[in-house]
Amino acid sequence: MKYKILILSLFIVVFSCKKDTGITRELPPINTKKSNIAYAEGFKVTKNSNFSVLEISNPWPDSEQTFKYVIINKIEAAKTTFMRDEYDGIIVIPVEKIVVTSTTHIPALELLNVENTLVGFPGSDYISSEKTRQRIDKGLVRELGKNEGINTEVLLELNPDVVVGFGIDGKSKSLNTIKKANIPVIYNGDWIEKSPLAKAEWIKFFGLLFEKEQQADSIFNHIEKNYLEAKKLASKATSKPTVLSGAMHKDVWYLPNGESPEAQFLKDANTNYLWSDTSGKGSLSLSFETVFEKAKNADLWLSPSYYTSMEALEKANSHYTKFDAFKNKNIFSFSATTGETGGVLYYEIGVARPDLVLKDIIKICHPELLEDYETFFFKPLE
Amino acid sequence: MSEQNQNIVLETKELTIGYSSKKEESIIASNINFDLHKGELIGLVGANGIGKSTLLRTLTKVQPALNGEVLIHSKPIESYNAIDLAKELSLVLTEVVAAKNLTVFELVALGRQPYTNWVGTLSNNDITIINIALTQTNLTDLKHKKCFELSDGQLQKVMIARALAQDTALIILDEPTTHLDMYHKAYVLKLLQKLAKETNKTILFSSHEIDLAIQLCDKMIVMSNDNIVSDTPKNLIKQGAFNDLFPKDLIVFDENTGAFRVKK
Amino acid sequence: MVKVKSYKLSFIALILLLIVFFFVNISLGSVSIPIKEILNSLLGASTNESWQYIIQDYRLPKAITAILVGSGLGISGLLMQTLFKNPLAGPFVLGITSGASLGVAVVIMGSSLFGGVLASFLISEWSIVIAASLGSFLVLLSVLIVSSKVRDTMAILIIGLMFGSITSAVVSVLSYFSSAEELQQYIFWGFGSLGDLQWKELKVFSIIYIIGILFSILSIKGLNTLLLGENYAKSLGLNIKQSRLIIIFATSLLAGTITAFAGPIAFIGLAVPHLTRQIFNTSNHKILLPAVFLFGAILMLICDSIAQLPNTDYTLPINAITSLIGAPVVVWLLVRKRKMVF
Repeated sequence: MKYKILILSLFIVVFSCKKDTGITRELPPINTKKSNIAYAEGFKVTKNSNFSVLEISNPWPDSEQTFKYVIINKIEAAKTTFMRDEYDGIIVIPVEKIVVTSTTHIPALELLNVENTLVGFPGSDYISSEKTRQRIDKGLVRELGKNEGINTEVLLELNPDVVVGFGIDGKSKSLNTIKKANIPVIYNGDWIEKSPLAKAEWIKFFGLLFEKEQQADSIFNHIEKNYLEAKKLASKATSKPTVLSGAMHKDVWYLPNGESPEAQFLKDANTNYLWSDTSGKGSLSLSFETVFEKAKNADLWLSPSYYTSMEALEKANSHYTKFDAFKNKNIFSFSATTGETGGVLYYEIGVARPDLVLKDIIKICHPELLEDYETFFFKPLE
Repeated sequence: MSEQNQNIVLETKELTIGYSSKKEESIIASNINFDLHKGELIGLVGANGIGKSTLLRTLTKVQPALNGEVLIHSKPIESYNAIDLAKELSLVLTEVVAAKNLTVFELVALGRQPYTNWVGTLSNNDITIINIALTQTNLTDLKHKKCFELSDGQLQKVMIARALAQDTALIILDEPTTHLDMYHKAYVLKLLQKLAKETNKTILFSSHEIDLAIQLCDKMIVMSNDNIVSDTPKNLIKQGAFNDLFPKDLIVFDENTGAFRVKK
Repeated sequence: MVKVKSYKLSFIALILLLIVFFFVNISLGSVSIPIKEILNSLLGASTNESWQYIIQDYRLPKAITAILVGSGLGISGLLMQTLFKNPLAGPFVLGITSGASLGVAVVIMGSSLFGGVLASFLISEWSIVIAASLGSFLVLLSVLIVSSKVRDTMAILIIGLMFGSITSAVVSVLSYFSSAEELQQYIFWGFGSLGDLQWKELKVFSIIYIIGILFSILSIKGLNTLLLGENYAKSLGLNIKQSRLIIIFATSLLAGTITAFAGPIAFIGLAVPHLTRQIFNTSNHKILLPAVFLFGAILMLICDSIAQLPNTDYTLPINAITSLIGAPVVVWLLVRKRKMVF
């Protein structure tokens, strides 16, 4: 009796194995090609024969998860099924309807000429890029509320092919609901990257989604070339001005730490950022006394928080007027450079075009090197 | 007649006491007429709920009279402002004083508030009066003790001393013997009698100790269902004023001993 | 008479302590400045320009602010505890912090809702102060209107708390619609800060503060009388309504102006009266008021010196320090004495 049951169970096992004829399982990858990503550490693309795997490894600070997505063309997708649980999402390309959630994503879309695919955005007032603004004005981009509290219903109604989100900790309830509704959500980690070029390289991420990888590659190469040339130019400068940054919130002065992208710009522009030897995550929070003692005689003051005029700075705290940089009117800020609806350009296009940012800074710190160049983001504080 | 009038500290004329709200008026007692003289100890007695507290509250301007007048030194009490009234009339209430952290001296000193300056500094005169009040109530040794260290009896004396320090012509006490043992009940009332004689102040108290009051008071005010009478205890007994105070099934008033006895 | 002498000694000791801690507070900070240079800077004779600036224009106003804040909050706490006969009362039970928070929230976060008019107003350096004052004044006015119609002092306490809930709700709604920067600004205001006042702001602050102190002195007699309870107080000739008004006015001037200039500072108003009562062992407000003044000032100077995390580059928000230090001290005192003096 026992013997018969054993045979019977073996039969069943064998039969159930056979049931999946005609459908290709995920085969061990053949013809794998890792696409070339030089600076960015937050995403990785592995190409298989008929699909790619996108890995997002650091979408928010201290994240322990890595996300894997299958990127597969429409035609191939019809022939293939994947085990749902193995991937965080299956994205069919080219994407025709996309929702993004940060203004840093917009320039990539415009550079790749796919801005027409944008159907929704939370906080569309912040967007400055002209082509997208026109679409917003025409009502082609739905307002989705705030990033921390996206309007789930509207998002579901839009039914995009993919949502590119970003978050402090990935706990967004509305995005989780979207995922359950089978709309793939990819967390974009461009803002975590530690260097300006790494941030800009995320255009390749978008290139992947729209089947425009070659175009993305060439755009990035162009930007990279400009950046490195500017850096080389700066290294020839004869002087190295001292630089102060940031401003106070109540009693605490916040400035970029030495390993941040902002500090990288200052280093590549061949300046002496007074806190370039600091490290850590996030901004430095120092007392007024410390900053005053060290930077009272700094030559230049870049990015004094969100203040847009000397008057505002003085009214906020009269201590600022004691700095040499204030007295000599050597303060430069990007906060006043905004789009039509008040969005700060630096936070939008600045991420995609680090070459322009670097040139701005070089022009400010070593004006003799770029005589014909006019700064785009940074303007002297009036 | 006028000499008698000079001696009158407080008098009521056709006084009606009670409560009035927007909807109705409820009269507790009416046609109240009595006068209190200098140096007298007067006991106010009556059954529970008859209106003793209401009467005291009306006399001390805590609640308004429904009709009639209350006169202090021949002036209606409405004409007195708060400070002037405080200089004529002081109170000892049943409520427990919250701030027990004061010393005896400090608490008694508060009785001088109507006389001190805007910040409450005590003048030499004030201090003398406080010390006299302490001597009169036998509290001099306890002067610097904190009130929470005192027994109930001692605390009661402190409150009386405070009223004395207020140096008023009239002192009104609401049930001053309530939570004291028999000895201290007698002690406090005897003290009040002595004070009335020595200081020539008019002291009116309400109490349930009818027998003690009969023994010690110069005058008594008896509140019963039908009326309110005021006279010397002797006369009141003769008039049989105490006979109808309580229901007769349990206790009866014995004229000879001047006390109530339980019926066997 | 023995008692009076011992108070004199204690007061002299307190005044000396105040002077000592004042100097300690000025000497400690992120930048370490030698004592000689500190004295030079105070006299305007320092050779190091940034040090002189730090001492004269940063640490000195901060120390003075600490004294005003500590003493002012202590006194308002004392007034509230006596008026409401409640050891848990503090300067903010009348809803002053809620009102100030509402005003500040409207200015910082409401601009997106209310548009351009508010935005231009924001540029004024006085905007936060004015908004906080207006806010606490409005809430206070509402509480006062109610208090004049109500005989029971306890009811005022509850009404103050209720207004607090209403303003919190409005602030929540404003927070929901504001941007990250605005939220951050608002939260930072909520941390409280002593170091943010410059001399001209300090002048305005001092004037209002002095008026508040004068009113609190006016209320001493009433406070002492109220120790007997409202019935006795009335029989002693005290005008309860007027007294209440003076006490509430003094508290609102002090606590309101402190919150407007330095943000909501926690715990000091609650703890200092208790500490003073335990140590001086009296309920007499003639002694308590100046004692609370001195104690509050000293405690605030100590807390600020600690918050500066001397000789490091960092500072901590003052509210964290006041609570961390104050709470255990009160607990220790109560446990030691075993009986609460109140």
